[in-house]
Amino acid sequence: MSKILAVARREFIETVKNKIFLINLVLIPTLVLGGMALSVHFAKRSVVGPRETRTIVVEDRSGLLADDLREAFAKYNQHRPQQPIVLTVTGPTADAPTTGSEEVVARVRAGTVHGYAVIGKDAVEGSAKSFYYLKARNLADMETVSTVQQCIHEAIVAVRARRHNLSPKVLEEIRAWTSLEQIDVGEQARGGKRNEMVMVMVPFFFLFLMFTGVFAVNQQILTGVIEEKNSRIIEVILSAVSPFQLLAGKVLGAVGAGFILIGVWGGAAYSATLIKGLHPAVPASTLLYFALYFVFGFLMVASFLAALGSMCNTMKEAQSMMTPAMIIFVIPMVAWFHISQQPNGLFAVILSFIPPITPMVMILRIAAWPELSLWQIAASFVLLAVSVPATLWVAARIFRVGILMYGKPPSPREIFRWVRHA
Amino acid sequence: MSDSALVLDGVTKRFGSLLAVDALTLCVPRGCIYGFLGPNGAGKTTTLRMIMDIIAPDSGRIDVLGRTPGAAKDLIGYMPEERGLYRKMTVRAVLAYLGAIKGMKSRDALRAIAIWLERMGLADRAGCKVEELSKGMQQKIQFVATVFSDPQILILDEPFSGLDPLNLDLIKDIMLEMRAAGKTVIFSTHMMEQAERLCDYMLLINKGRMVFDGTFAQVQSEYESNAVLVEIEGEGDFIQSLPMVRAVRVQGKRLEIELVEGADNQDLLRALLQRARVRSFEIKVPTLHEIFVHRVGGGHE
Repeated sequence: MSKILAVARREFIETVKNKIFLINLVLIPTLVLGGMALSVHFAKRSVVGPRETRTIVVEDRSGLLADDLREAFAKYNQHRPQQPIVLTVTGPTADAPTTGSEEVVARVRAGTVHGYAVIGKDAVEGSAKSFYYLKARNLADMETVSTVQQCIHEAIVAVRARRHNLSPKVLEEIRAWTSLEQIDVGEQARGGKRNEMVMVMVPFFFLFLMFTGVFAVNQQILTGVIEEKNSRIIEVILSAVSPFQLLAGKVLGAVGAGFILIGVWGGAAYSATLIKGLHPAVPASTLLYFALYFVFGFLMVASFLAALGSMCNTMKEAQSMMTPAMIIFVIPMVAWFHISQQPNGLFAVILSFIPPITPMVMILRIAAWPELSLWQIAASFVLLAVSVPATLWVAARIFRVGILMYGKPPSPREIFRWVRHA
Repeated sequence: MSDSALVLDGVTKRFGSLLAVDALTLCVPRGCIYGFLGPNGAGKTTTLRMIMDIIAPDSGRIDVLGRTPGAAKDLIGYMPEERGLYRKMTVRAVLAYLGAIKGMKSRDALRAIAIWLERMGLADRAGCKVEELSKGMQQKIQFVATVFSDPQILILDEPFSGLDPLNLDLIKDIMLEMRAAGKTVIFSTHMMEQAERLCDYMLLINKGRMVFDGTFAQVQSEYESNAVLVEIEGEGDFIQSLPMVRAVRVQGKRLEIELVEGADNQDLLRALLQRARVRSFEIKVPTLHEIFVHRVGGGHE
């Protein structure tokens, strides 16, 4: 056991010291967080941040609204001093068409005027046709439409109130808004604020963390084994430890590095959601399941890649042998949306019981639907408890023979013979 | 405690259709230098790997200091023929790691590393990465890696290949020192001259089978040909017709005279003295090289 730990210790230190690991550890969260921060920043800038002054022309064909319009827009400008609107109110011109003046529309088309509203003659009575001319370029322009509409509505309501002798105070009281805060009482949400985006992304995040965490670190097991083979230190190592001890130590060291990686990434992601003001309430049980599935998935992939590395002499050989095997691991990545939308569907259940991808599919389903039936979770662990040691056993036998073999990689028949006779 | 450092009993190993080691039986006493001799592909490395429990024999028994090979790993320092170290690690870190997997305590390992690097003249390189060292230095480090854990048995696979004369002497000295300290040194080589000088006992194997084993003197006596080398004045044509002579070969000034079975070389000397002046008379002793070539049949190297 102390030999396994000695191997694990070196493996852990060398992995963690490796540049690729450090890049993975720091750069990926930085890029993801940075990207999110930037997008939030720009989104805020374009909707609530400072904006160029907009010129709006309102043609009031009823002739009743000018003062109230000015007041409504002034109020808007007061609330959003960084997004000023310059208002021009024109009175009714008898000879102009009811759809507005061609001359002003031309200015809108030329871009000197942002928007041109034409309020119909009987707008206060509620029976008039009104128009708004704009040159839509982006979402912010659409937002301007609703602002203008809102201000015009305010003005019309003010005129109507005066007709019925309602004081502004009474009016305000009548119109007082009752807002509903949405509270999700599902177990996953724990009474937190509901957010569709978080609900969709949390399962994907767990899947991504599992996949990337497992492969980023285990890639280094593969290169490590090939390096030991190429540098011929392997025989010296095997004169001190058995192939099984070597394999176990390597995998153990890599699991340690893997937990550091997913710990940092998970922490970064959680802080990111907090920064964005979301509270992805993930139940503790999901985190526990994640850790367990991570260990199983990690062991399976690590022993697979170590055995693969032992059979190859160069990374190129290893990659060409790895590609067909990778296809199966990509299935959950491709099917994640379907699985997370229907975590109890037949497809999801079937994929759950294909051992190499069981950990990935199961964590996706649990994150998508924490009330997943316990017997399915238990069954998946039983399956893993059988298939992971079996993989380790086969891998150890291949590893034992392969690591001392030089020359061309073995054929499947030879590998089968190694497993039987090693 | 058995008296033997190593016992092999009917050890056999097959790789597919190739019989690499065939029912090999041998016994290496404690405190000696033991040579494994044989041409390439004779099964030397396979045998050493089985002793190290790197590969398992198909049948037969191996006993190392009274233990199974798997349980004796920490008692053996092994230097394989194919050498290598972690190139990106520092000399000290590599050695400390190899010490740790040999079951050494970290403090003991660091102390031993310092002593051995000093001895090899590499004390100032402890902090260097392995890849920064010259090939000769790397070989010395490799040797340090084999001996610094103070093993009871040293197993060296082709230790002299690729060494310069200085390092060769250094390693031979250490092998002799180990023997003096009661340790057992087993090494394989095809440099017969080195084996002849160093080995107390030797084993010659060919195609996986033992050809002979024992001390060099035993081997020599077994292979002593009944021949003499003589140098005489004048014509030596008469020698061929002497009754005790089977064949005469001219070797420059000297004649190699092979006697018939059972003949006494002293009778030949008397016969020669009657007919000519004898300048030199030497009983021919086979060198290990000659025995090797003779037994293996040549052409394998």
